[in-house]
Amino acid sequence: MAHMLQLDDVHTYYGNIHALKGVSLEVERGEIVTLIGSNGAGKSTTLRTISAIQRPREGRVLFEDRELQQMPPHDVVKLGIAQAPEGRHVFARMSVYENLQMGAFSRPGVSITADVARVYDLFPRLKERRTQKAGTLSGGEQQMLAIARALMAHPVLLLLDEPSMGLSPILTEQIFAIIADINAQGTTVLLVEQNAQMALNVAHRGYVLQTGRIILSDTAANLAANQQVRQAYLGEI
Amino acid sequence: MRGSASQLRRAISLGLITGAVMLYLVAVGIVLAFSARNTITGVVTLGRLMLAAPPLAAGYVVARRGTDLAPRLVAGLLLGAVSGVIVAAALLFASAVDIRHILVRISPPLLAFLAFDQDASIGALLNLALAAALGLIGAVAAVVPSRVRRPAITGVIGVVVISMLEPFLRPRLTDFKLEGVSRFLFTHKGLSIASAIVVFAIFAVGSVAWPRVRARYRARVAAADPGTQATIRGVTLLLLIVFLLALPQIAGSFLSQVLVFVGLYTLLALGLNIVVGYAGLLDLGYVAFYAVGSYLTALLTSPISSLGVGLPFWVALPIVILGAAVTGLFIGAPVLRLRGDYLAIVTLGFGEIARLLFLSDALKPWFGGTQGILGVPPLFGVAKVSVPILGWQLTGPTLTYYPLLFFCVIAAIVATRLKYSRIGRAWNAMREDEDVAQATGVNVTNYKLLAFALGASVGCLGGAVFATHLASVFPGTFNILVSITVLSIIILGGMGSIPGVVVGALALIGLPELLREFAEFKLLVYGGVLVLMMLLRPEGLLPDRVRQQELHEADEEEEPGADGGALTPAEQG
Ligand SMILES: Nc1ncnc2c1ncn2[C@@H]1O[C@H](COP(=O)(O)OP(=O)(O)OP(=O)(O)O)[C@@H](O)[C@H]1O
Ligand SMILES: [Mg+2]
Repeated sequence: MAHMLQLDDVHTYYGNIHALKGVSLEVERGEIVTLIGSNGAGKSTTLRTISAIQRPREGRVLFEDRELQQMPPHDVVKLGIAQAPEGRHVFARMSVYENLQMGAFSRPGVSITADVARVYDLFPRLKERRTQKAGTLSGGEQQMLAIARALMAHPVLLLLDEPSMGLSPILTEQIFAIIADINAQGTTVLLVEQNAQMALNVAHRGYVLQTGRIILSDTAANLAANQQVRQAYLGEI
Repeated sequence: MRGSASQLRRAISLGLITGAVMLYLVAVGIVLAFSARNTITGVVTLGRLMLAAPPLAAGYVVARRGTDLAPRLVAGLLLGAVSGVIVAAALLFASAVDIRHILVRISPPLLAFLAFDQDASIGALLNLALAAALGLIGAVAAVVPSRVRRPAITGVIGVVVISMLEPFLRPRLTDFKLEGVSRFLFTHKGLSIASAIVVFAIFAVGSVAWPRVRARYRARVAAADPGTQATIRGVTLLLLIVFLLALPQIAGSFLSQVLVFVGLYTLLALGLNIVVGYAGLLDLGYVAFYAVGSYLTALLTSPISSLGVGLPFWVALPIVILGAAVTGLFIGAPVLRLRGDYLAIVTLGFGEIARLLFLSDALKPWFGGTQGILGVPPLFGVAKVSVPILGWQLTGPTLTYYPLLFFCVIAAIVATRLKYSRIGRAWNAMREDEDVAQATGVNVTNYKLLAFALGASVGCLGGAVFATHLASVFPGTFNILVSITVLSIIILGGMGSIPGVVVGALALIGLPELLREFAEFKLLVYGGVLVLMMLLRPEGLLPDRVRQQELHEADEEEEPGADGGALTPAEQG
């Protein structure tokens, strides 16, 4: 078997907007790979294409040697790919607990008690708020819930879209610690981030996406040292 | 001081609005239509009460704020007076200038009614004084503590409701050999002054006593051991069943007819509730399924239909349900990708297409065009059933009532079970956020189609019963108003709430049937009710939130586990 996940010259369109212009990338088992890039570069589109919510017009998405690009999204989840989408997409009028329950939707007929306990351990805040409507949680709490919900699917590959968005520096630290933790427990992570510094700290490897194309790929350490990256994404002049 | 000044300003602006509302009620003719209904004979009619309601309610609203007594009462008085000025001015104007060619309802009898059969100028003064007094009474209601307000309001509602029921109560009381009661209660199609006082007192006392009795009863049940609790629950259920079964006998044939309509719309609303309330798919063409159910039933059971097979109802029913489910899939499939308003518009079109197909000349050999299909046999094959021992003779509505009740109960049970099942959760998620639902593994296509098919099946049950009840089907019945009415019921009751559906059907179908004068204004009232609901209580009269919350809190404490497969909900709280 080759790579866990492989995108091979993927082109994705929204109508006639060419959002991904031939993206190729690989993720190996056990890695944290980060995808950085400025606004509108196509990071979210890449994740949506992997989850099959958006269909590529050209190219292939391979997960453990299976082609995902023709699969319906609910089958992709069953293969063990879960996504915490960008922008706090929680089920607003459901309680925290019900959101978690939905996270395990792809695994019918199994007890979720242990999994709920596990995510409550990772995010004690969610436990306190378990009966609260998700829409009334604070932004940071909603972000945690979106991640926790993705974890409830028992993913082998976790896709995180800007998990630190809108979080305080302390919470951001915590989230990245949790990501490292989840990875240490055996989940492969593909992480999209604006916060390139933090992302490159936690990741093993990274890709830089610019207007729909991968312009750089290297180990996280090399990327963090790269002059171009430092200027464009780490805020150095 | 500044607070009270702003309160007075608010009183004036609310007073202007109130006056406008009163004029509107008068001008559309609804007030005059109800002025023939005595509430308390010789004292007040339903029409008068309708006109009195706006200043009363607005006076209450304006005086609810504030701490000092005097400014609050003054605000109410002022508000009433302002609305009174508007009505009085309009009355004077209409008496002096003939505006009947613009507002056709402004007739001499109406003006006489408005002026209390006095001269226009005296009438104007009376209106002013009355409206001011009503505004003040409303304010007083806001000022007094709720232990006074509640019984008073309940008493008034009691008087209004009992007097409204006069045409039905009186003959029933006679049937049950209670002429004495009837003679005491009613004179000239309304309550007498004495009986009004008694009714008021009974309701007022009831409103005080009832919560206490209930609380004590609940406390006692809670204190009892589980075995006794189960027995109590069983007995309550049994009593409810007996009551529902005996209801047509108590209500008599006319009220049974009303019950049949309420039941029919309850059934339709239960079905549409699955589509709109659970799955969040705004379907405005629901009438199509009602029509398909009716026509399929007529085709299969009527010996003189184009098919001419004359199957018994219960043999035809599975075919009808299947046919409707397939129709649901047919309508559902092309609209799967549409969201929100687009879906609403397309389904609206489908509803009309269904009606036009049944009406069309091309399909006349099948569906009979405008003539429809006649000769649909009664549901049980016979027009009359006698119940041994009890000696009941069931015919017409008293007979139709039972299968309808049966279908409603089945539909309600299925809907409840679905709601708290895996399927219900998937719908819920889909309604909240379709993309994320997909990303958590919900097969959105299948769940949408399932909602359409189930909603269609329930809707067609209504159609099937309807066809047998009328012994015929006509395309004219199946217009868009049916869809709108059913949707209004759901919105009034509370999206996704099953008790809400029943309450909504009682209010929007039962009430207009009881108040025949309403017929003409039905749509106006529906519109008004919907707007008010959206403004004041968008979650509906009986929202299901609380229950849902409780339920899920409960199942978490225990064992959330074992997600049931397919149709069997594993965890019922
Ligand atoms: N639903 C859509 N319809 C049309 N265009 C879209 C849609 N979603 C994204 N796009 C466009 O596709 C391009 C890539 O968007 P994408 O959301 O993938 O960017 P991103 O890298 O995630 O940006 P950000 O960091 O701001 O989240 C953008 O130019 C965007 O305008
Ligand atoms: Mg993005």
